[in-house]
Amino acid sequence: MRFVQTALRCYPQRWQSRHGAEAVELARLLMRDGTPARSIAWSYFKGAATTRLVLHPRRRLRAAVGALLAAACSLGVSLVMLSSSAPASAANHRPSHEGRHCVADSTARSPVPIRGTANKPAGDSVVSSHGQHC
Amino acid sequence: MAPGDVDRRGAGGQDVLRRAGDASVLILTSLAGGSKHGYALIKDIKAFAGVELGPGTLYGALDRLERLDLIEALPAEDRRHPYRITPAGVTALRAHLDSIERVRVAGRLRLGLGGI
Repeated sequence: MRFVQTALRCYPQRWQSRHGAEAVELARLLMRDGTPARSIAWSYFKGAATTRLVLHPRRRLRAAVGALLAAACSLGVSLVMLSSSAPASAANHRPSHEGRHCVADSTARSPVPIRGTANKPAGDSVVSSHGQHC
Repeated sequence: MAPGDVDRRGAGGQDVLRRAGDASVLILTSLAGGSKHGYALIKDIKAFAGVELGPGTLYGALDRLERLDLIEALPAEDRRHPYRITPAGVTALRAHLDSIERVRVAGRLRLGLGGI
């Protein structure tokens, strides 16, 4: 019975004042019929959790909005970090890029056209830092 | 709930119990046979459906049904609160049973068990 009373204390005060006495009596009758006290207490625990969620829909809404904001913020931070690290990584790659032809340039010289590059208009090519077309 | 709401539910045949859960349907079915308090509901549901509702589930469903105006609490007898089904509850239960019936018939037909 101690478990049951503990579980019943998890309900909101308003629920306890309305159903509390009846719930204790119901538990007593069910135990008299052979239902284990722990299963009754577990049922009341689950009911209390559900009742609290149902009675406070604004809390659920706030939690959902908070989760969305957190997700958006983490995504934003990730994008900012990516965009700030991209020029740095490009700068790190630049020295190794110098002294050899870029891929687009080498494929242009290749006798076998590579799919997607053969019909590419000339306007699409960009000038790399070392003055060669890519 | 206004009487107009009851009529709209009845006319539209909207199954408001579809998302209310099995416990709600069992409780409404039990209350359709007369008003009962918690313990009597648990015993009756076990007798006609073979389902033993936990007390937490029972009170959760009772609160939900009361919020939907499908049942109402009667004046307390000692510490027990009897509940009875409202006209809106009768209409909702009827609509739900009709919906289940359509599924039952379709299922039996498709399994080759006959439509009745």
